Formats: sequence, C-alpha cells, structure tokens
Amino acid sequence: MSNSQSQAKLDSIKESALKTFQAAQNSTELYNAKVQFLGKSGALTEAMKMMVTLPKEEKPLFGKLVNDVKAELETFYAEAEVGLKSKEIQAKMENEKLDLTLPVENHPVGSEHPIHKVTNEIFAIMARLGYALRTGPLIEKDYYNFEALNIPKNHPARDMQDTFFMDETHVLRTHTSPIQIHSLENEKPPLRIIGTGPVFRCDSDISHLPNFHQIEGMCVDENVSMSDLKGTISYFVKEYFGPGLKTRFRPSFFPFTEPSAEVDCSCPICKGKGCSLCKQSGWIEIGGCGLINPKVFEFAKVEYPKWQGFAFGFGVERMAIIKYGVDDIRLFPQNDVRFLKQF
Amino acid sequence: MKISLQWINEFVDIKSYMTDPQGLADLLTKAGLEVEEIQNKAKDFQHVVIGHITVKDKHPNADKLSLCQVEIAPGQTAQIVCGAQNHKAGDKVIVALPGAVLPGNFVIKKSKIRDIESGGMLCSFKELGLGEGHDGIVILDPAAPVGKNYAEYAGHNDVTFELKVTPNRADCLSHYGLAREIGCLINKPVRKPEVQTNFSKDSTKGKISLKVDNTDLCPRYCGRYVANVKVGPSPDWLRQKLESIGQNSINNVVDVTNYVMLEMGQPLHAFDADLLAGKQIVVRTAKASEKFRTLKDLEIVMKGDELLICDAEKPVALAGVIGGLNSGVSEKTKNIFLESAYFQPMSTRKSSRQHGVDTDSAYRFSRGVDPSSTKEIMDRAVLLIQKVAGGEALGDHHDVYPLPVVKSAIQIGIQTITDRLGYTADAKLFTQYMQGLQCEVQVQTGGQFKVTPPLFRFDLSTDMDLVEEYARLHGYEHIQEKIPVFRSEPAVHDFYYTESQKISALFRGLGYSQAFNYAFISQKEEATFIGEPDAIAKTGLPTEATAATLLNPLSEELNAMRRTLTFGLAQNVLTNVHAGNSVGKLFETGHIFSKKSDGYTQSLRASLISWGDEIGVYKNQAPHLYQVKAAVEKLLQQYQITSYSWLQAGKAPAFLHTGQFATLVVEGKNVGFIGSLHPAWLSQKKIRCDVAVSEVDLQQLLQGQPRPKKFKSLSMFQPVARDFAFVMDAKTAVGDLIKEVKKVAAANLKQIQVFDIYEGDKLPAGKKSVALKVEFQSFETQLGEAEIQNLTQKIIDHAQKATGASLRQ
Repeated sequence: MSNSQSQAKLDSIKESALKTFQAAQNSTELYNAKVQFLGKSGALTEAMKMMVTLPKEEKPLFGKLVNDVKAELETFYAEAEVGLKSKEIQAKMENEKLDLTLPVENHPVGSEHPIHKVTNEIFAIMARLGYALRTGPLIEKDYYNFEALNIPKNHPARDMQDTFFMDETHVLRTHTSPIQIHSLENEKPPLRIIGTGPVFRCDSDISHLPNFHQIEGMCVDENVSMSDLKGTISYFVKEYFGPGLKTRFRPSFFPFTEPSAEVDCSCPICKGKGCSLCKQSGWIEIGGCGLINPKVFEFAKVEYPKWQGFAFGFGVERMAIIKYGVDDIRLFPQNDVRFLKQF
Repeated sequence: MKISLQWINEFVDIKSYMTDPQGLADLLTKAGLEVEEIQNKAKDFQHVVIGHITVKDKHPNADKLSLCQVEIAPGQTAQIVCGAQNHKAGDKVIVALPGAVLPGNFVIKKSKIRDIESGGMLCSFKELGLGEGHDGIVILDPAAPVGKNYAEYAGHNDVTFELKVTPNRADCLSHYGLAREIGCLINKPVRKPEVQTNFSKDSTKGKISLKVDNTDLCPRYCGRYVANVKVGPSPDWLRQKLESIGQNSINNVVDVTNYVMLEMGQPLHAFDADLLAGKQIVVRTAKASEKFRTLKDLEIVMKGDELLICDAEKPVALAGVIGGLNSGVSEKTKNIFLESAYFQPMSTRKSSRQHGVDTDSAYRFSRGVDPSSTKEIMDRAVLLIQKVAGGEALGDHHDVYPLPVVKSAIQIGIQTITDRLGYTADAKLFTQYMQGLQCEVQVQTGGQFKVTPPLFRFDLSTDMDLVEEYARLHGYEHIQEKIPVFRSEPAVHDFYYTESQKISALFRGLGYSQAFNYAFISQKEEATFIGEPDAIAKTGLPTEATAATLLNPLSEELNAMRRTLTFGLAQNVLTNVHAGNSVGKLFETGHIFSKKSDGYTQSLRASLISWGDEIGVYKNQAPHLYQVKAAVEKLLQQYQITSYSWLQAGKAPAFLHTGQFATLVVEGKNVGFIGSLHPAWLSQKKIRCDVAVSEVDLQQLLQGQPRPKKFKSLSMFQPVARDFAFVMDAKTAVGDLIKEVKKVAAANLKQIQVFDIYEGDKLPAGKKSVALKVEFQSFETQLGEAEIQNLTQKIIDHAQKATGASLRQ
C-alpha cells in the first residue's frame, strides 16, 4: 500500500467518524461512536494495525498521520461531549422541577403568648441593669401577701385588693410584692431583683381578669433615693416604648412604700399629643412605685437605715395593651390561635 | 367620693376655679388626690331651655307622634316632633335645642321626622342623665320661666368631682377636710362651719344615761339630747345639696346626720330617744350569737368581738357601722339622742366586713375620724337639726374620753429629706408646708425638726411620711432622674424561669404556640375530665384526690386550683375548633397545685396539645400523637437525656384513648404521659378530629440540670451497616425489639433506624415485618467480618428469645 493510499484510507475513517460523532443525539450515542472509531477494535485502531505491512521508511510518517487523526477526533469528541452533557443536565433539571409555591407544612412556627413576651421584654431590659429574676408561690401565706408588706389585718388598705382566700391563712397572691419579702429574707443586700408571675383578684369585667400578671423590681442598697427610682423607670420607659418618652411621678399610696408614686409615661401611641388610648391626656399610667417602707425592712429583718431601697411594679396585661394595642383583655386567656399567631 | 365645688367654696375660696375646674383637678391630682371625673351640669345643659307648648297637634304622617309648637324664648316658637304621650298644650317642658349635647354624646340637630321639620327635642329625666325612670317627658311647674337655661333654673350650676381618696387620707373624706387640704395647696385660709353653743338648762344626762364598757374599741363617745323635734321632709336646700352628690333624702333629721358626715367626715347616729329601753346607752362588746336587726331589716348574728351600742335590753346599733331597726328616727319621733363617737378603726372594719355591711359610716370609721373634734361636730349637727326640725338642744352632754389620743412628735432632719428625694430640700419650705398641714413645728439646731401632726392625719407617724409630704407639696416633678450605681454582686436568675424560656423556644420552633390558662378551674368539670386521679399519678404526675378549693370564688367555673394543665389545653382546643381553627398546636408551662397538711405546694409542668385533620398535601405528616411524641423527645434531647422509654402499659387516665397512651420513663422514673384524647370526650364535645396531648413534670425532668457536658473523642474506625428484616407478632412493640438490639450491640452500636414496617398479604395474618438498619462502630478497633457476623447472630438469637421475632425468609 502506498502512502497516498493510506492517506486516503485515514481521511475516509476521519470523515466517517466526524459524521457519526455529529449524528450522535446524546452522550451515550456519542460514546458508542467513540468506541466504534477509537476503541480497542475501532476503525482507527484497525488502520493502525496496517502499519506492519508498510516498508520501514514509510512507517514514521504513517504513524504521525494516524496520531494526528486520533488527536483531531478526540478533541472533537471532547467538545461534543461537553455540549451534549450540558444539554442533558439541563433537561434533567427541567424534568426535576419542584413547585416551590406548594405549601409544605401545616404547622408554622409557634408564637410566644403576649403576656410572656411582654414579661420577657421587660425582664431583658432590667437584666441589663443587673436585676435577677425571681418567682414565688402563687398560693401565699397571708403574712407574705399582706402583713410583711405593712398591710395588717383589718386595715383599710386591704380594700385596695379584692382577695381570693384559700383558707384562714392562705390567699391567692394579689400582687407579686411577696416575692420582695422572700428575697429580703433569703438574700443579702445589696440586691436587685425582678419578680414576676400570675396574680389574682376577685374582679372580673371588661377591663379586669381575675388571674393576671405583674412584673416588679426591687433595689436594696445604701443611700437609695427617689431620683434613683425615677432614673431607673425613665430608662426602662425609653428602652421599652421608645426614645424621647417622658416619665412622670404622681403622689399615691401603697402601704409598702413611702413615699409612693403612680408612674405615667408620655403616651407611646401619640407621643403625648393626645389620642384615644391616653384619653387625650398625653399620659399613660403604667404602674406604681416608691421607696421601700422602713416597716417592710423591719418585718423582713433587714437593717434600716443602713439599707434602703425602692420598688416598682407594672401590670403585664396593661403593658401588652399599650405596646401591642390589644383592645380586649379577655383575649389573653382564650388562647385562640388567630390571636396568638400575631405575636 | 363625689365632691361639690360649691360646697367646698363654703370653707375655702375657690371661686377662681369654678370656671376652671380642670385647674383644681390637676392641682389635687398632683398632690395625690386623683380626680377621676369632672361633672359640669351647667356645661352639659347648654342649649337646654324651658319651653311652653302652645299648640299640640297630631303628626300628619305618624299616629304615635305629636307635632308641637313650643315657645322657646319670649316671642320665639319652634316646631318640635315628640314621641311621648304625657304632654298637652299649655305645659312647661324642657327643650333641648339644636346644638345641645345630651349624655351619651347625643347631639341635637334640626331634622325631619317623617317629612316634618323638628327643631329640637322635648326631654325626659333619663335623656338628661338625671334619673332612670322613663315616664315620658318632664312637665315643669307652670311658673317656670320660658327660655331660661334649665341648669340655671334647676340649680344644676355646680361642678362635681369624682375623687379617688387613697386609704391613708381619711382626713379628705369630707368637704371640710378636702377644703383644708386645698387651703394648704393654694395657701388660703379655711373657715370652720358654725356650731351650736346655746343649750337649754335641761340635762342630757338626766334624760339618757351612758356607760362605756369597752374604751379600747370606743375611745370617745359624745351624746346630746334634742327634745321636741318635728321630723319631716328636708327643706329644698338640704335635699338638693345631698342629691347633687348622689345621696338620697330620707327625712330632715337623718339628712342632717348624713350632711354633717359629708361636710365634716364624722359619722353620726340619731336614736329615737323614746325607743331606748331603760333610758340608757351601754357601749359594750357583743356576746357570741347575740342577734341584731339593722335598719335595712337584715338580721345579723354576732361573732362575739363586735362593739355594740345597746340600751337596757338590746343592741340598738352595730357601733360605727349601722343603726338598728328598733330605734331609728321616723315620722313618729319626738325626741332624739344624737351620737358622735370615735370608734377604733380596725374593729369597725372587722364588724363591717364580717357581716358584709358596707356603709359610708363604717368606711370612714375604719379609715379613722378625728378624735379631737367629736363633740364639736356633734354640735354642728345639733345646730342644723334645730334649723330644719326645730326642737330644744339640752345641755350637760355626754363626753366619755378617758384617755385623750395624743399624737407623738416626729424627729426629722432636713438632710434625710435631701437624701431620700435625691435633691436638696429647703428648710424654710419644709416649715411652711408642715404648718400648712396644721402640724406643730419645733425648729432645732443642725437642721433638725420636731414635728407634731394634727390628730386628723392618721397617716403621719414616721420621718418618711414627712419626706413624702414635702415631696408631694413641693411637687414630684422636682425629683431628678439618675441611674443608681450597681454595687451588688450579679445574682443568677430563677432556674425554672430561664429553663421554661428555653423549653418555650423549642416548642415554638416545633410549631406550638404558647398558651396561658387561669390557675383556677371548675372543680366539678376538672374532676369529670380527670376521672380517677390515681391513673395520672401513676404516670409520674402526682395528682391530689380533690382540687384545692377557694373560699370565695368568683363563680363555680373558677372555684378550685388546677391539678393538671391538660384540662385547660383541652378547653382551648374546644374554643379554637369552635372558632373555626381546625388545625393547631398549643403548649403551656405552668403550675399545678395541691393541698398538704402544712399548706399548699405548686409544681411546674409542661403540656402540649396538637389537633386537627391533616388534609391533602399534609396527609403524609405523622399523626398528631407521633408529632407530640417527637416534641417531647426533642425536649429530652435538649437536656441530654438519652436513657428514656415509653411504657405502653397500665390504666390510661380517663381522658385518654386506651390504645393511644404511654408513660414516659426517664432514667427509671415515670415523669409524664403522651396520649390521644378519649374518643368519647371528643364526640361529647363535638370535636371531629384527632387531638394528642402530653404532660410532663418539669421539676422532675430538670433535676440535676444542666448536666455537665463532657467531650467524647470521635471513633476513627469505619462504621459497618447491616439490615435485618424481622417477622414478629403484630402486637409486639417495636420498642421491645430495639431494646434487645441495643443490649446486644452495646458499645459497638452507632445507631438503629427502623426503615420499614409491613403488614399484609405477603405475611401470615397477625404478623408484621420490621426492617432495621443497624450500624456498628467501635471506638477501639475496626470491626472485622467475623465480629460483625458474631454480633448479627447474637442479635437474631436475642430477638427471637425476647420477642419471638424471626428473620424474614
């Protein structure tokens, strides 16, 4: 066989291979085509075997020709393969398309009850000032709920809190203030605590729940003044309801504090301009406070006047009403998920 | 308490505030006497005038309406449509003209009623907010002047305050007392009302004798005899004044005692002297089970510690609280014995409370009346009684006051005020304020003061009380704001509170919303729900035989303390389902209660509930009970608790499905349950979907938490997995099989997964196939084929022995 003959043979293999490669519809056909021409018993490999029949001086040239064709076909194959594979992956993905608008879970994330949410928000602010959280028994001894808080038996101050009685000596706590006494008895001043939890009063109407919640703070230290109290509450008001809100004290009466004050803050809704929430006054009553009455220290056996203190308390439901605009207090204990989901 | 400004003005000049009541209200509120409401009748009745019906015709288009021509000012007539039936031509009536705003924000406008113009409204007392009855429109005296403003005509030109008086300010429970406080606030003199000083030569003591047996409970008792009074209706001035602050008129003598109480704060009682047996008054402690009928005709039985006012035979008054039916002043009364006393506050309150008799008198005595003006105020009443009912006031009155009350002096330094208020207090101002409060002030050296408060200020007894008075009178706005330096050692938060927050976050992440239920429930309904409490107790949730009850519940619905959280959440499901929330999940952390011999205990629980029909695309979610189980297991995982099991045995609590109930056993102890609500309960409540619940004892579960976390090195060897398909009795628990595998594989076990459960045609009836993938991994060596073979065989043998399971062929 002459060189020109072998050349022609190789050209025809190449042409035929390229045609077959181009005709491949997918990567498998392409691969089969590759085996057909470049495989162990492929056309090009067969052509290579012809080399033995060539005269010695023609062998190098023929070898080079075969390798050139092989390289050219392999390059062509590689490119074709990339093209086909990418088409196939594209097709696979089209095929595997998921409808991501489909609802997948019937139970969305649960929510915090607004009462607990408000409690935790207040707690978080006070914790930054070093207040440690305390709870206490819901069924309290008369002593802790009243007497140790300077509300003796048959004192008219008991009229301020309609009380549920369990028996002669036990009541459902009417406020969270007994927590103060437990803390004063069990811990050493100086101390700062936040007491919170459910409280009870026999009062149930459109604006009162018989089982509601309070959160209160107590700070006992040397040299405590009304300014410290006002500064602390003012800090809280700004953190909780927003910067720029003002705090106002009005004289009041609680048997366990002296002096006592009601706390108002400028209405967070109208910023003090007057709206329906604040009854056009620009102020919202948020709680009560005062310096701890020395008689309370006497009951709790804390040395006075070495130690003095202040205390303040808020109604959690009222805070939730102010903060979230809940307009019906009776929604709190209903646990309607449509209500709960909003928090 | 209702306060009339005109009345106040009799004692202190507040004329400038009559046109600015808000100014006075602000002043009082700032001083700690909160004005809750201002009523201004003159303002309310603008455009409400007296009219004269000149013509009354039928409304042409309505049978029940009349069409009136009403003269609303001399020579000026308006046409008014009226629905009432009680008026006729010639009547004088009250007309609300366009522009008037009646109670309830009812704005009067010119309008057309059935095509006929109406220029106003003829009013009833109810429409004017002056009474309840609706007997048609008001017909006035024929002499009433046409066109005159009605408020002016009827004397409704006063302004009244609804004042909130805190329990410490008993001294402000009267017009004179409040005037005294206002005098101090605006720095104006206060006039005292006139009292009777002329008495006849006859002796009170000669008519009625007095014996006070218990001077502890009755430190002072005064009495005077007034002879030959003429009991009858009160004159207009007295009646109107009482009515202006919401008090009913009874008769002239009783009205005076009420009037003087409202004026001076001292409750008084007038006895019909001729009804006092033995012509004597004895003030003594009651005997137990002694009976007494009040003037409201209510019989009360004495406990034995009440103070009574008696005559020679019987009680005639419950001291300081209420008089008796047997001795009150009536139309027939000729002679009266007037009582003015100082009764011990707490004893009076106790009498009033324990017999449920709330009176204005008891209210004032229990807060404290001024023991120094008992006699003076009695003679104020005597003066007024003589003015309105005539009679002769006898001399030689009674006044038993063996141990005059003395107010002790308070020592205070100006520095104390400065320290407690946080700003520099002024000594001169302090003296001025104290004197304004009628305290005696002794100025000492070194900024020290000796202050003796007046007897009517029961609330002033310590230096801190005076600090408050200074702050109050100076104004709380002077208190500066300062954040105190934090000197205490930071303390840890309550453990259960912080853990409850973490648990709450976990459950919320799993789709459960937080619920809050009342701590009290209906004892009856809860008992029905719970059934046999022992069944719950056996799951590790101690449950008392009966719920601890309240002595004075609001209602039967809320009369006992809860013993389980599940009951509340089950009620919530009911509420939700009825509100149309067909699917949902709730959880609650809270306390349950029990009564012990030495008091009450509370225990912290967590409870979960999940309900609803999973429809359509959600159908392949696990059943609610499995979702609840998964949530509880995640709670255990959060606390690193790995040794737990679900025990499906024992009696299910009455509210649970007997086939869908298990007790949670953690490290050998029962700590709660999971289960589906009983189908009978669901059907009774008309809930047509599955409801799964769980309740666990958090106190048990959190014991020893947080557990110390210790790092364990990771195995460097390859895990080897083997699949097993066991065939076993369909009723045998898969958990039992898993337990065996765990036991055998022990330290070489990485994990077990159940990947298939099959029951059906390819198996004999009553059998199921359970496919497990068990992964082995050692921390010490690479497990070889021989060891795996050995473990596999052991698992098969043990499974066979313990559960009767065999490998599926």
